[in-house]
Amino acid sequence: MQIIRTEKLEKIYNDNGVPVHALKGIDLEIAKGDFMVIAGPSGSGKTTLLNLMGALDKPTEGNIFIENEDISTKSKKELSEFRLKNLGFVFQAYNLIPVLTALENIEFSMMLLGINEEERQDKALALMKELEIDELANKRPNEMSGGQQQRVAVTRAIVNNPSVVLADEPTANLDSETGAKLLDLMQKMNKEKNITFIFSSHDSQVIERAKRLLILKDGKIVEEK
Amino acid sequence: MLLTLAWRNIWRNKRRSLIVMISIVVGVMMVFFTNGFMNGMLFQMLKNQISSSVSHILIHKKGFNDNKVIQSYIPDPELVEGAIKEQTGIKNYSKKLISFGLLSSASNSSGVFLNGVNPIEEKDVTKIKESIIEGTYLTENKRDLVIGKKLAEKLEVGIGDKVVAMANTPDGSIGSEMFRIVGIYKTFSSEFDKIYIYANKQITQEMLEVENKEYEFSIICEDYQQADIIKEQIKNQLPDEYEVLSYVDLLPMIIFQIDMSKQWMWILNIIVGVALIFGIINTMLMSVYERIQEIGVLMSIGMKNGKIISMITLEAFILGVTGTIGGIIFSLLVMWPFYNSGINLAVFSDGLNSFGIGAVIYPVLNINDFAATLIILPIVSVLAALYPAYKAIKLEPIYAVRYV
Ligand SMILES: Nc1ncnc2c1ncn2[C@@H]1O[C@H](COP(=O)(O)OP(=O)(O)OP(=O)(O)O)[C@@H](O)[C@H]1O
Ligand SMILES: [Mg+2]
Repeated sequence: MQIIRTEKLEKIYNDNGVPVHALKGIDLEIAKGDFMVIAGPSGSGKTTLLNLMGALDKPTEGNIFIENEDISTKSKKELSEFRLKNLGFVFQAYNLIPVLTALENIEFSMMLLGINEEERQDKALALMKELEIDELANKRPNEMSGGQQQRVAVTRAIVNNPSVVLADEPTANLDSETGAKLLDLMQKMNKEKNITFIFSSHDSQVIERAKRLLILKDGKIVEEK
Repeated sequence: MLLTLAWRNIWRNKRRSLIVMISIVVGVMMVFFTNGFMNGMLFQMLKNQISSSVSHILIHKKGFNDNKVIQSYIPDPELVEGAIKEQTGIKNYSKKLISFGLLSSASNSSGVFLNGVNPIEEKDVTKIKESIIEGTYLTENKRDLVIGKKLAEKLEVGIGDKVVAMANTPDGSIGSEMFRIVGIYKTFSSEFDKIYIYANKQITQEMLEVENKEYEFSIICEDYQQADIIKEQIKNQLPDEYEVLSYVDLLPMIIFQIDMSKQWMWILNIIVGVALIFGIINTMLMSVYERIQEIGVLMSIGMKNGKIISMITLEAFILGVTGTIGGIIFSLLVMWPFYNSGINLAVFSDGLNSFGIGAVIYPVLNINDFAATLIILPIVSVLAALYPAYKAIKLEPIYAVRYV
């Protein structure tokens, strides 16, 4: 079952008068349960593609369908709602709200969905236990290591049962051992819950674990494995 | 959860938040202080004037207030008294003779307003009896006279001394009478004390050959704020040859000052409000700029604009509410002792006396003002936070997330 489909995706940035052609016709289908890595040199368009698939940005040309819904026709508010219900995000760093504890950070996305406090807490704690990070529950981000923060971020990303989790270089700030632990966790979620993961990464250990690997160069797919 | 988040965000930068809160506290205190003391002073001035001579409503023959001549007696005292008795909302009233004259002692003489009063009626209308500092109030004795301290000093007389009063009679001759000083009073105002003297009504009527004539009805209402309404009602009962005046007509300067002070309070409120607005805008803008990345993450994970606005305005609201409550508490703490015992300005008392203010000023605390502040300032804080909140929701998540 396909979860994301792009058609002739083009992205041209035109911020400072000089147009930058970041994506040049991306045609792509991603199946449910995939564990896909987008690799490629710096500036090749990985983040741009991920942002489009994450409904954070709109393409200049072409269409993008997530769960068969055309993203390019949605308003900002609808996109926000769509992301909340269907997508999870893990960024390179600073994912968490510094003044909230790990547990509260995870609860936060459920709060945005309007889930009541009791249910939120139960569910967040249960998931933290399952992912073996429950000892972090009452810690604030500044009391956690980078790897711990990223694991909390992954937990937050999956707590609302999204169809897809998008992670832009999630291991870039971690050493290889902590990176591996984070990947273990995501792989486990992929296997057990059939959550689709899409990464961008330069990291060889991320690339090694990919079910599917996409290599971008100059805004085009140059290789697929 | 938004509340928790807002609360903790405030304490992220303790110093900055405390500065805003303290400035709100100081602003609130400033408003209440100025307000309390200014009103305290003005109401005291008003009360003093009312209780010494003006009362709430005065009734004369038309023209008497501007030109107190002995020919201008009240044409039909029974008619006036009847009207007063029928009127509701009146607590006490008195009727008296007032005439300009000259009071002489062995060593000196001075121009005075001779008040011929019924001592029993008068003590419920003016405060002369309570202001006596030496001797007694008027008694049954015909020749009793009560004068002010300043006048006693000027005439170099004391209790038991004889003085002679002189004034014009209606036919233009001079009526005179010997009095004996039984009491000396001192009010808030040395000017007043120098001029007003009190004797029994009958002897003054005889002296001025105006037996059974009345010159002034002074009325005290149950509620002074009703004075103008009651005045109009009495006025409608009486023919045109009478003048009915309330303290508002009689004390235009003080009323004007009270109005001015209300406007000044508005200006002060606005100044404090504007300072608050800029304080909040500045603080919240800084706080938004510091959190661009965080806000970007929140937007990415699906936090909608409405919630982001709530989060930011809630922070401002908390700042506003805590500051305002703090300001009110501190104002009360600081003003409470003065509220009970007054502020003693004895050092300036000579200057104040000539303004008609006593040496001790009681600040006026108004519950309504506190309530208004408690409602308005937090609302203003929220309004001020709208601009920073607007800045926040204008952020694009993809840029905000990568913002360093
Ligand atoms: N907001 C932007 N405005 C203008 N140009 C942009 C913007 N974002 C990206 N670009 C340009 O688009 C191209 C693709 O950028 P992108 O960030 O997608 O690359 P990337 O593969 O993620 O690189 P990296 O590995 O360094 O993260 C680059 O040439 C970049 O300079
Ligand atoms: Mg990138």
